Amino acid sequence: MKTKRILFILAAAVFLISGIISVYLLFLRPKPEKVRITSDGETLYVLEPAREEDRLITVEYEGRENVIEIKDGRVHMLKADCPDHICIETGWLDNGLPIICLPNRLVIEYEDGRTDAAAG
Amino acid sequence: MKSKKMNAKKLARLGLLTALALIIYIVELRLPDIAPIPGMKLGLANIVTVCALFTFSPKETALILYARIILGSIFASNPSAILYSISGGTLCLVGMALLRKHFSKKSIWLCSVYGAALHNIGQTAAAVFIMRTTAVLAYLPILIFFACISGALTGLTAQFIILRTNKKY
Ligand SMILES: [Zn+2]
Repeated sequence: MKTKRILFILAAAVFLISGIISVYLLFLRPKPEKVRITSDGETLYVLEPAREEDRLITVEYEGRENVIEIKDGRVHMLKADCPDHICIETGWLDNGLPIICLPNRLVIEYEDGRTDAAAG
Repeated sequence: MKSKKMNAKKLARLGLLTALALIIYIVELRLPDIAPIPGMKLGLANIVTVCALFTFSPKETALILYARIILGSIFASNPSAILYSISGGTLCLVGMALLRKHFSKKSIWLCSVYGAALHNIGQTAAAVFIMRTTAVLAYLPILIFFACISGALTGLTAQFIILRTNKKY
C-alpha cells in the first residue's frame, strides 16, 4: 500500500518535471549563435546561420540524401530521402529541440558547449 | 493430458492477442504523426501488452510483444526502426513486470504510465547509441511528458478491459 503511494507521487513528479523542462526547452532557452550539423556521429559543419549566405547543403548517408536550407539566418531540412520525413515536418530550427533525421542519422542542433564535451 | 489441452488453449489466446496487437500497431502506423518528433506515438498496442501482463506471465507477455514487434516491422515504412522498438519495448516490459506486484487491478493505469515512460527512455537510449550523439536527449523530457498522458490513457483502457472480462481471455 505504501509503495503504491510512493509510485504515484513519483509518477506525478516525473510528469511535472518533464513538463517544466519541455516548456523551458521549447520556449525559454536562449538561442546560441552557432549551429552544428552532425552526420552519423561526425561533425560536418559548425556555422552561424545569421552570418551565412542563403544556400543549400546536401548531406549523403548510405546513398540517401538530405538537403538542408539556410535562409534569412535560419536553418531547416528542405528535402530528405528518409521514409518518415519527420525531419522536414520539424520545421525551422528555432528552439531547444534539434532537427533529427533518425533513418539518415543526421542532426542539426544548436551548439552550446554541452554537445562539445559529449561528442568526444 | 489435461495440461496439454490447457497449453493449446493458452497458445491460441496468446496468438489471438498477438494478432490483435499487430492490427492495432498497423492501424496506428497509418494514422498521422501527432507531432514531428521521432518516436512520439500514442502507443496503442501497449493496451495489449498491459492486458497480457496482468493476465499471463511476463514470459508469455514477452512472446506477444516480440512477435508483434518483429511482424510489425514488416509493415512499417522504416524497418530499421525495429531496433528502437526492441529497446523501448524491452525496457517497458521489464519495468512493468518488476512493478506489477505493487499495483492492484484498479491501479493498472499507473503501471502503464511507468511502462510508457520507460518505453520512450529505451527508444531514446537506442537512438543515442545508434546516432552516436546526445542531441536526441533533448527530446526526452517532451517524450516522457506525453508518455505519461498516453500511458495513463492506454492503461485505463487495459484496466477497463481486465475489470470487465473477469475470466482469462
Ligand atoms: Zn528524415
